[in-house]
Amino acid sequence: MTNKSLPPEFADLAPFLDWALATADERYAYRRNASRAELKAFYDAILPRTEAILALVDQYPLGALPEELHPLYHLVLSLAEVAPHIELYGGAPGVPYAFDETRFVATHGAQDTALGLSPTAA
Amino acid sequence: MSETVHRWMEQYPELGSGPISTEPYISPEWYEREKEKIFHKVWLCVGRENELPKVGDYKVKRLAAADTSVIIVRAKDGKIRAFHNACAHRGNTVITETGEETYGGSKAAIMTCRFHGWVYDAEGQLKQVPSEQRFYDCFSKEKNGLTPVHLDTWQGFLFVNVAEQPETTLAEFLGEYANHFNGFPFDELDFGFTYYTYVDCNWKVAHDAFAEAYHVDTIHAGSFPNVFSTGLQNVKLMGPHRTCAVCLTLGAKPTPVSGIANGLAGASLVSQRGESMLPPAINPDKRDDFAFELSVLFPNTLLHISEGIWFTHQFWPIAHNKTLWEGRYYVKAPTTHSQRWAIEHAMTLQRNAWLEDTATMEDTQRAMQSRAKVEQHLQDDEILIRHGAVVVDQFVNA
Repeated sequence: MTNKSLPPEFADLAPFLDWALATADERYAYRRNASRAELKAFYDAILPRTEAILALVDQYPLGALPEELHPLYHLVLSLAEVAPHIELYGGAPGVPYAFDETRFVATHGAQDTALGLSPTAA
Repeated sequence: MSETVHRWMEQYPELGSGPISTEPYISPEWYEREKEKIFHKVWLCVGRENELPKVGDYKVKRLAAADTSVIIVRAKDGKIRAFHNACAHRGNTVITETGEETYGGSKAAIMTCRFHGWVYDAEGQLKQVPSEQRFYDCFSKEKNGLTPVHLDTWQGFLFVNVAEQPETTLAEFLGEYANHFNGFPFDELDFGFTYYTYVDCNWKVAHDAFAEAYHVDTIHAGSFPNVFSTGLQNVKLMGPHRTCAVCLTLGAKPTPVSGIANGLAGASLVSQRGESMLPPAINPDKRDDFAFELSVLFPNTLLHISEGIWFTHQFWPIAHNKTLWEGRYYVKAPTTHSQRWAIEHAMTLQRNAWLEDTATMEDTQRAMQSRAKVEQHLQDDEILIRHGAVVVDQFVNA
């Protein structure tokens, strides 16, 4: 069960709330373990709403996003993670012809991106 | 400049044009000589001053190829100094390391060894020894401070040299390379992402994989499919260092998400940009297809600069066939959530391209170790690799 929620105007994106993940590490892992169909459905649902989501979150200063908008922002951050796979990699969940992704460490990987911190902040 | 197919050989005939031996990539003995003649002797780039903003902030960097770990710390006088991370008591590390890089800080600007509580200040002086009276007359705190390591800076970059007496100053070591990059706003573009991994290959295999643009059309057919290499321009060899412009033709139409992201922040290598922040020596002919400056700061740092972006790769040898790779990507700090999102997208694409770059390295190492081929052939646009091999050979045989 999830307690994440979305503003009423984005309620139709609720089926995708599992993609509302706070950290780069969580988003990359979820993308890697998703099916091709899940990636495509997520991309198709979020892409047409991307500019509206970004306009809404930009009503607040970076780092001061109200708690209730975090899931929506996390959703669109997952689109940043997923987009290359639909737009460039033929829908493949992994990066093709690549080094083992699980061996790459992102030092900022555990940080909640919605907090607007420097990637080097602890 | 000649535009012939062999123009770099014509410009730098002293490098030769023959095949390059693979032995330096696979020989443990050669690696021992590289440690002694290169990594124990030259200036190594270990970070940026702004990683240590406050008095007492420190970073411990492991330097396996120089057989030590270095504490880099900002003292009460505001100066940054470097010391070996070794306690004068029984040689334990003073700061307990948690990995290749350990960050921390102390408001009092002191460092305490966890083993027996010896306390050093950030000037390296031994300040306190528990039960000091039980040591003998021959022991004095004054003579048992931390062992200093030479440290100097250029454009906000921190360099250390572990030699007791470095053969050159940092300025002499950098030479013309420093002039080439002076003035780029490294400090303004300080929103930096770091990725790292261990790759089972020689550090030069990793260097070589990044030090040419010949691979762009094949290796990056996935992440940068609308980008085609138009080759290197402005190759300049400067002592042990080297630089060039990587020129790429961009496809006309970005993908849907790239299109949105590019409109929000010029954070991607393949987005369009306006006025130049580049120093005058970079892209001097103002070519439209200039993508980024690719340079090698000898021995193990690749520095790339472009409009609104800079990034580095560093290859830290762990063994003759094991390397710590660190990739760092810097942009201007975002001011809005949408800019932060666009940067996330750019960083994701760049990470994926780096995953493509690193994909060949372990295969190359294994194939080289088979000795099925004992030399490699380089084309004219792979001149940075040739220069690297020549310079390493000069140092090792000096």
